Amino acid sequence: MAATSAPAATAHMECPRELTSTRRVLPFGVVLARTSRQALRSGAMWGLIFGIYTALQAVAYTLTYKTKAERLALAKSLSSSGGLSALTGPARDLQTVGGYTAWKSLGLLSVIGAIWALLLATKLFRGEEDAGRTEVLLAGPTTRRAATVQTLVGLLVGLVALFACTSVLVALIGRARDVHWAPSASLFYALCVSSGAVLFMAVGAFTSQLVASRRKAAAYAGAAVGIAYVVRMVSDASAGATWMHWITPFGWIEELGAFTSPSPTALLPLAGATSLLVAATIWLSGARDLGAGVLRERADARAHTALLGGPVGLAARLTGPTITVWVAGISAFGLLLGGVANVAAKSLEASPSVRAALARLGGHAGLVKSYLGVSFLTVTLLVMLLAASQVTAARREEATGRVEHLLVQPVARARWMLSRLALGAVAVVLAGTLAGVFAWLGSVSQHAHVGFFDLLEAGINAVPAGLFLLGIGALAWSLTPRHATACVYAALVWSFLVEVLAGIGHQSHWLLDTSIFHHIAPAPAVSPQWVGALALVGLGALATALGVARFSRRDLAGS
Amino acid sequence: MAVAAIETVGLTKTYAGIDAIAELGIEVHQGEILGFLGPNGAGKTTTIRLLLGLIRPTSGTSSIFGFDSQRQAVDAHRRLAYVPGESSLWPGLTGEETLHLLGRLHGTLDAAYRDELVERFAFEPTRKVRTYSKGNRQKLVLIAALMVRPDLLILDEPTSGLDPLMEQEFRRCVLEAKERGQSVFLSSHMLSEVEALCDRVGILNAGRLVDMGTLSEMRHLSSLTIQATFEGTVPDVTRVPGVSSVVVDGHLLQCQVHGPVEPLLKVLANASVHELLSREPSLEELFLAHYGALSTRPAASTAAIDAD
Ligand SMILES: Nc1ncnc2c1ncn2[C@@H]1O[C@H](COP(=O)(O)OP(=O)(O)OP(=O)(O)O)[C@@H](O)[C@H]1O
Ligand SMILES: [Mg+2]
Repeated sequence: MAATSAPAATAHMECPRELTSTRRVLPFGVVLARTSRQALRSGAMWGLIFGIYTALQAVAYTLTYKTKAERLALAKSLSSSGGLSALTGPARDLQTVGGYTAWKSLGLLSVIGAIWALLLATKLFRGEEDAGRTEVLLAGPTTRRAATVQTLVGLLVGLVALFACTSVLVALIGRARDVHWAPSASLFYALCVSSGAVLFMAVGAFTSQLVASRRKAAAYAGAAVGIAYVVRMVSDASAGATWMHWITPFGWIEELGAFTSPSPTALLPLAGATSLLVAATIWLSGARDLGAGVLRERADARAHTALLGGPVGLAARLTGPTITVWVAGISAFGLLLGGVANVAAKSLEASPSVRAALARLGGHAGLVKSYLGVSFLTVTLLVMLLAASQVTAARREEATGRVEHLLVQPVARARWMLSRLALGAVAVVLAGTLAGVFAWLGSVSQHAHVGFFDLLEAGINAVPAGLFLLGIGALAWSLTPRHATACVYAALVWSFLVEVLAGIGHQSHWLLDTSIFHHIAPAPAVSPQWVGALALVGLGALATALGVARFSRRDLAGS
Repeated sequence: MAVAAIETVGLTKTYAGIDAIAELGIEVHQGEILGFLGPNGAGKTTTIRLLLGLIRPTSGTSSIFGFDSQRQAVDAHRRLAYVPGESSLWPGLTGEETLHLLGRLHGTLDAAYRDELVERFAFEPTRKVRTYSKGNRQKLVLIAALMVRPDLLILDEPTSGLDPLMEQEFRRCVLEAKERGQSVFLSSHMLSEVEALCDRVGILNAGRLVDMGTLSEMRHLSSLTIQATFEGTVPDVTRVPGVSSVVVDGHLLQCQVHGPVEPLLKVLANASVHELLSREPSLEELFLAHYGALSTRPAASTAAIDAD
């Protein structure tokens, strides 16, 4: 190569310098380029979703509450309810579009951002290490800590993308005359929305050092999100516990007061905790063995072979723990919904326009039921997320090649695929049903007087959407295995966005029909449309059948 | 005649217009060990994945004991076991759990033989798969395949990562399997392994079968290496029919003879030969002869760089 370009003599003389410059370039090239590319794409996408969601809230507010009187009535009716603010965070300044938008978006988006961030961080730290790619990179002239710093910088690129996309969209909607936010307020709001992601990205990086598998690292970081959220709920629910606001990151984010009473001091604990975690991550990454965690795992384990007799048993063994966490989480959410329903409905009764809007949904049913009907759409969303995660997990068995050990045994492909999907279906049914049962338990505890069967029905009503998505996922997985995960989540996000759009104004029926949510009656506000639900299940079954037939006839596809 | 353990007819697999394997016709008889050789990317793994029904052929068919690899995969799999060269297993299961699972799925587990294998391969089954080294992972899939005593073992570079001691143990196990009448399809880059174990050898290049037969058949068809030392001057043998690759180094002559050796011997008899050696080619030489064209390319480019 050298011979064809430069004269041989200079090539020889420059050799040492070339070598040292390679030494310097390599560490700050490879790892950083890899991680920042992935983080940038993902951060930008979520930034767009956050920005659109925020903009939609602002638009919905200006369309729904047009007069000053309506806005004041809304603010008065929702400001003093402990139960509601436990769920959604405290409602401040609802007579302004900023206050409403912050109330509707910040709590939700900061949790989603936190989960996104911990999944990305554990993927780029522990996931890469699990796959053996870190080892290859570290064989080059770089150190463990330098690689960690580069990964962190790459993640930072993702955060900047998240912040930038959110702030641009929020600033744009802020220019609308009815909305009217100052650019600095938009930037501060975007900062608040992203700060959950910042902190929990650091948490994900930290737990990736602690334990030796991506799943565990994500589970530990996820548990941290869960605890932080519950503490925030408790602190918002009762007046005496406001000090608890200061021990949870989600409390700090509320204290930032985006769009209402901005107070950047709450950035201090966020920045402090993040710095500590980042420093600990860098230090630990150099102090531990590659492929191991700081917390030692026992290598020896007693064999539990009870389930390991066939594909169904194996699937249960592999996904059982994850499904249990999902079902428990959705049940807990049901309990919460039932618990706050009474208080929420009471406070809504004060506002004529809100009551009118909810009553439209609920027909003659009571306001509690109306409230629950809207809230149960979130249960449906969670059940669909569970279904999507099951498809993704099954596809991962194929992508890693693990399934080949099963399929070279006398196990038909259809049998394996159906056993995975059946388990997913059981999880979906269980999650929906238990959400209903626990919502009833929650409502009973608050004397809400909603019938057991009404809530059970509402829970079961969430199941068809999950089963349908499972079927669609199976079809996508067999048709285009490498894009299966993207397809399933795209169907979900699309349905969700269309549903949000539908809440703003009248959309074309053609558009609404493409949303899975649109085919679900808001039970218990109205009784479930069982015919439509059965049609969804039937379509899901059809998609599954087609998927299984195709999967049995195609090449297995690695990652 | 008994049905063949493996039979392929016109088996072809095309990826994006390029034939990974083309018109492959091979047969593995019952009780036979067939070695399957070829350079990287020749199509060995592709062939095996087609036999197992993991991928679909573009055209052609293959069968295992008469069961179609694609349509009767379950029946075919009841009679075989497979060892991939590189496998990802469930990191959360222990070795013991993995063996239990794979044995139960196959249905014909011989527990006593499994325990014997665990001992012979010095394998620690109580640890989680996540903590195994590459060699230990390979031992695990080997034991899983051998313990069910299948009628056919399909092995794709089965000893990658094994230390020499374990490699010896593996050879013993394969020969025992053959004694019991099991058939073996062995794809490997370890020529000594293939030479020691296999009854017949197939050589694949760029997706095509270029040679197939017993080692002695292949040797017979290929050239003989002759080395002769002379007391006086070395005679010119370059025009003798069948002679090639002539190298003269002082009193030493080395050349290859293809076909009858008589013409060469006549020439040599007229000169005063001090010492004469003739040798059949090793499998390595046979193999390299088939890929002479391939191996010269990198060598030539190295030479170009050296010349600078
Ligand atoms: N999924 C795929 N998509 C595209 N090309 C493929 C695919 N799988 C294999 N090939 C190509 O088919 C050819 C044969 O590959 P194969 O893995 O069978 O080789 P091999 O003989 O097993 O090589 P090795 O000795 O390195 O294991 C290669 O050129 C490879 O690039
Ligand atoms: Mg191969």
